[in-house]
Amino acid sequence: MTLQECYAALEGDYEGVIGRLRTERLVQKFVLKFLDDGSYDLLTRSMESGDYDEAFRAAHTIKGVGQNLSFNKLYESSHLLTEALRSKNIEAAAPLYEQVKADYAQTVDAIHAYQASL
Amino acid sequence: MADKRKQRILIADDSEMNRSILADMLGDDYDIIEAENGKEAVAVLQKQVAQIDLVLLDIVMPEMDGFGVLRAMNDFRWIESTPVIMISAESAPARVQQAYELGITDFISRPFDAFVVHHRVVNTLLLYAKQKKLINMVTDQVREKEQQSALMIDILSHIVEFRNGESGQHVLHIRTLTELMLKQLSQMTDKYSFSKADIALISTAAAIHDVGKISIPGEILNKPGRLTDEEFAIMKTHALIGASMLEALPAHQNEPLVRRAYEICRWHHERYDGRGYPDGLKGDEIPIVAQVVALADVYDALTSERVYKKAIPHEKAVQMILNGECGQFNPLLMGCLKELEGSIQNALEKKEVHDWDDQNLLRNLTEELMQREDLSASDRTLYLLEHEREKYKFFADMSQEVQFEYNVSPPSVTISEWGAKHLGLDEIIMDPYHDEKVLATMGTESMQKLAGLLSRTTPENPIVEFDCIIRMGGIERWMKLIARATWSKEEPPVYTGAIGKAIDIHETRVKMAVLEEMAAHDTMTGLYNHKFAKMRIQDMMARKPESNFALGIFDVDYFKKANDTYGHMFGDQVLIHMAKTLKRNMREGTVSARVGGDEFLLFFEYREHVDLAINRIFNSLIGTYESFPISVSMGVAKTQMLGTDYDTLFHAADQALYAAKRGGRGQFRFYDGDSCETLSLISPIDSERESAAENQAGAGTGGKEAESAGVAGGEKAESAGTGGGRDAEREEDPSGR
Repeated sequence: MTLQECYAALEGDYEGVIGRLRTERLVQKFVLKFLDDGSYDLLTRSMESGDYDEAFRAAHTIKGVGQNLSFNKLYESSHLLTEALRSKNIEAAAPLYEQVKADYAQTVDAIHAYQASL
Repeated sequence: MADKRKQRILIADDSEMNRSILADMLGDDYDIIEAENGKEAVAVLQKQVAQIDLVLLDIVMPEMDGFGVLRAMNDFRWIESTPVIMISAESAPARVQQAYELGITDFISRPFDAFVVHHRVVNTLLLYAKQKKLINMVTDQVREKEQQSALMIDILSHIVEFRNGESGQHVLHIRTLTELMLKQLSQMTDKYSFSKADIALISTAAAIHDVGKISIPGEILNKPGRLTDEEFAIMKTHALIGASMLEALPAHQNEPLVRRAYEICRWHHERYDGRGYPDGLKGDEIPIVAQVVALADVYDALTSERVYKKAIPHEKAVQMILNGECGQFNPLLMGCLKELEGSIQNALEKKEVHDWDDQNLLRNLTEELMQREDLSASDRTLYLLEHEREKYKFFADMSQEVQFEYNVSPPSVTISEWGAKHLGLDEIIMDPYHDEKVLATMGTESMQKLAGLLSRTTPENPIVEFDCIIRMGGIERWMKLIARATWSKEEPPVYTGAIGKAIDIHETRVKMAVLEEMAAHDTMTGLYNHKFAKMRIQDMMARKPESNFALGIFDVDYFKKANDTYGHMFGDQVLIHMAKTLKRNMREGTVSARVGGDEFLLFFEYREHVDLAINRIFNSLIGTYESFPISVSMGVAKTQMLGTDYDTLFHAADQALYAAKRGGRGQFRFYDGDSCETLSLISPIDSERESAAENQAGAGTGGKEAESAGVAGGEKAESAGTGGGRDAEREEDPSGR
């Protein structure tokens, strides 16, 4: 699997990220590093314990990282979740959280598959 | 300025990924420091703001967000010299505007573009590097210029002075007196308020008050004896001439120094009642600075020797001015002079020495700087500060003390690195009086006590000290807190905060307690020693003077024989056995002690039936140890009969014991006042008592003594001796209940 194919699988913007980070080496480094990022765990924990301030920050971080790496699909859903949590709209946040979960799973699956092919 | 040091960038972002992406984008050209929340960022800045060339700051962070960091940077005025680039996906215009208002230089929005990030960082660093260099250059030039103009004024005023044939100290005196008067004036009235800078400027300007005398002919200036009216008229022109000389400096008319000097030159011979010259101004028409210099000039003229007069002593000069003999002055200034009367002479003498020191210092410093051309003065200051900081940190770490610095505004406390780690607190804490962690560590009460003590300090008495308990990770420890309140240098001084340290004195306090405990006990038996028992007993009696107490002394019969037959080791074991038995059988609240040799003491409170209580204890003590038969003899004294003087009680019990011995041992006796009084031996040592008792018993007088020893002595002792009295244990024992 190439990095480009990985981006297709997680529905990201490969051209965009290469344009900004310049080298494929750097993109690869951070894509793999994404697997170690703790923000998603923090989001899950704080959503479950009802700590919505913490959840907001976690979602905000996922959004930022997603944006930096051009993980467009994950960026979109985490962006919507961030805004819902910012305005403390818990009702709206619930389905958006499900969407982020699904998109995160898709992203991580794609990266794992890419990692396995290295 | 050759700078081999890499420029240092602080990246504050809660996402490790984002920090890492930024660090990679910036490459190896920079020294990167990371902070994962706002508080950490502030802590890094607190420690090394002078070494941080740029801050990349995220907005949304835990603990303290980016705006919090910016506010702290404004409070501490770091923002003025340290550029901040905000990085965030936040692009709401209000937020962006707020960030710019708080002083950020630039804004980078996500997603990061390596090219953009790199160029913005480079541009900002370049801009600030230039600015810093310019600031350094300007600072140095301004300092040079100030030094040069001060020097020029000194030269100028000395020329005037020498021409006038004055003492050579006149200008210096005028400067000092002007300075003193202005300070005093600011303190005494709200009408005038002069800052330190104002005072420095005015006293410099005062130095050239007589510059117009340059154009007065030397014969008139230095004429010994009185001037004619004509000559005096010429002399008087120096005020206007000086003023017009200053007016002739068109390029500098707006310089504060020139404006003040003009006022002083022109009007330093005006008088408050309008009788001065050249303009005959009256009261507050005369600028206050000219009024001050006029008074200073008169005082110095009076107290100095001139060709036409001798010097007048200080006290007389002040009196002449206050009496109006040298013209009328502003009543406010007369007030100042009165206040200063005692300190003027001292200040004038001191100033002469100080100025010499200052000049020396200045020359040394200049030489130093010349030798190190690569260092501009400002960089040198930074270098020195950094050196001091390292020194301080080293000593702070070594001392194993918690050191701290408290600022009133903005309220914050900085704790030394070692101290913060030790206490489990952050190194910098904003608003400590409301910080939960600080309150939990120190306790609300101690915090309030510290705040109260500090608020009651004065600049003369700034140190507070007290012991308190500090909680660290759930463990309480005794610490001594010593703090020194800091006061500003301005008048009146303002309380600005405190520096201090907390020293762990827990071990010392615990050790003291152990030592006290050790000092109170007999090392072999673990019972109290006599000295401590006496203290306890006196204390018990003092607390309950109405209660009944009994004091008993007993020793082991034939103990000397046990020692002689089985050795001292065995004797010791017997004593330990006795102590154990006693402890096991006495009621709570009973004081027991070994008072020496094989002699023991017990003391307890009772309500009634003291004989039963004594009987019970007496019986518990007899038996055998390692087949050595143990019996005891005991004497008892009661407060009911003897009162509460310890020595009387002890003496009486001792005599009763003696009687018990003579009565044949293995019994106890109460002191009854008659029988024992005949005995004159006070606490004889064991062998003496044993032999004395044996002799007496042998002489056949024992029986009589035993009979007269009273109820308890006679009957109970006998039954005790045969072990028949054990049923006493069933009886209520009043001791200690």
